[in-house]
Amino acid sequence: MKSWPWAILTPALIFVLIGIFAPLLMTHDPTKQDYSAILSPSSWSHWLGTDYLGRDMYSRIIGGARTSLVAMVVVLLAALIIGVVIGSFAGYIGGRTELVLISIIDIALALPSLIIALALIGVFSGEAWSWMSDYWKMIIALTLAWWANYARMSRAVVVAELQQPYIEAARVMGASHMWIFTRHILPHVLGLVVVYASADAGALVLAIATLSFLGLGVAPPTPEWGQMLVDGMSYIEDNPALVIIPGLALTAVVVSFNLLGEAFALQKVPKAVRGGLLRRKKSARAGEETARAATEAKA
Amino acid sequence: MQRMFMRRTGLAVLLMLAATALTFALVSAAPGNVAALIAERAAGPGADGPMIARIAEELGLNDPLPVRYLRWLGAALTGDFGISLRTGKPMSEEFATRIPKTLALLAGGGVLALLLSLVMGLAGAVSNGGVLDRLLHGVALVGASTPNFFVAAMLTIVFSVMLGWVPTFGVAGFTSWLLPWITIALFPGSVLSRVVRVNLQEAMSRPFATTGFAKGLTRRAVLFREALPNILIPYMTTFGAQFTLMMIGAIVVERVFGLNGIGAFFIEAIRFRDFIGMQAVLLLFVVFFVSVNLIVDIAAMLADPRLRRPRRA
Repeated sequence: MKSWPWAILTPALIFVLIGIFAPLLMTHDPTKQDYSAILSPSSWSHWLGTDYLGRDMYSRIIGGARTSLVAMVVVLLAALIIGVVIGSFAGYIGGRTELVLISIIDIALALPSLIIALALIGVFSGEAWSWMSDYWKMIIALTLAWWANYARMSRAVVVAELQQPYIEAARVMGASHMWIFTRHILPHVLGLVVVYASADAGALVLAIATLSFLGLGVAPPTPEWGQMLVDGMSYIEDNPALVIIPGLALTAVVVSFNLLGEAFALQKVPKAVRGGLLRRKKSARAGEETARAATEAKA
Repeated sequence: MQRMFMRRTGLAVLLMLAATALTFALVSAAPGNVAALIAERAAGPGADGPMIARIAEELGLNDPLPVRYLRWLGAALTGDFGISLRTGKPMSEEFATRIPKTLALLAGGGVLALLLSLVMGLAGAVSNGGVLDRLLHGVALVGASTPNFFVAAMLTIVFSVMLGWVPTFGVAGFTSWLLPWITIALFPGSVLSRVVRVNLQEAMSRPFATTGFAKGLTRRAVLFREALPNILIPYMTTFGAQFTLMMIGAIVVERVFGLNGIGAFFIEAIRFRDFIGMQAVLLLFVVFFVSVNLIVDIAAMLADPRLRRPRRA
């Protein structure tokens, strides 16, 4: 367990670094068309060849890394914040409000996230939403499809923590709700949620690529792997590399995030919840719920 | 016992109602949309305001949302899902031709995922830390990380372009189903093979396994006779979740291989702003996902008496 973090973090880190430094790594403008070099094979000037519009494949792959990274980080942060706020609020306040919020979370989890995202993109295709660009439609749809898992997890942690004697102690000492929540509970919530999010990143990169592949995500000419792959499908007999290269890039990124997820899964329930698990029956159930939520969401 | 089943079923029905109400509210969020689209279809781009208003009035689009939802739900319960704005055909007709294709896709994929996961998981457990075990772990990791559209593309490159065994597009006969099945089975098969492997390992460290060894059974005998039945519950639960997720695979696969199923229809409905078609497909999806979950829960209760005991708060 001592040496795994770096070995497992490295692939994901490489993707993040490529995304950040993309403009420095590109050899060509990824959107510049060159009709004198259409579908050309690998060469000194075009390392991975060119696509059907003569655009440099290497630069498009690098640019695609940045597109995926930016979209993924935006959605993940937004979903995480919304989920933590709603989930923690539900868990902390309890009673009827909690019941209503849990029902909403359950409804949101009744359909797979990607189906919800697709349905929302469909809704946004209406004229009332035409002021939004396709890119933002995708970002908002994915965020609205993704928050519920984080809300469920946050609520479970809050419920488990509230059972702890130290909360009672803090209350007796006259601590305000805000103080108890931000000082004592939120760190536990964030601990679990951030770990889960770093493993969830792969699923999100995949979702972005799938939406773009279906023509409902990142629109051309912005380079994106899923969209590059579907473009390449038309030329699959002439130049299969146009399909294989973006596919391999995407698979490599998802594998590296899934490796992270597997490493985290080995530790199963984090300490914060485990502590509560041993103490009282009710909190034990909450702990189980967290573990279940985490494993289910992963699958 | 029976009360638990009833309770669970009741909850599932409630969830279906709530989820369909939510999707209905979302899809009809932009009022006048459907009327404008119908008018456009009937009179070309020259559709004017009064015509749109008349259509909206005729379809009852000006009624309050709950009234419209109940009317729509009532019609749907009698098999009337409206008329697709894109194809102009009744949705029930679309369903009749498309559902069998998607079901065949899901069923074949499900069977294949089942076989794949059991073979990979058991082979890994038998090898137990050997080269094969580690190799299968790697295969499962890559299988669970490869986008299904990339799998579909690779299979097309190898079997259609290079070997020419199957057509690149469309379905004709059994062989053309093979590539779609393999494509959607790879992801769930990989995830499930890990469920088999990890749970077998866990079961092998339990006291009953030790007893088995003490009785003089071979490792393989303990594995298959004592440990294997223990993976049933986690396997069933994950299989249910993965089976529903295969619908996403089906959406992608239907597009890549030109299968005219529900998934392909859904994407077309989104692209062509066919709100009536979208609503009907979403209703179908909600029913599908909630009932698969219900079936898995009930099957788990039947398999494990401990789950039948009502949980007290």
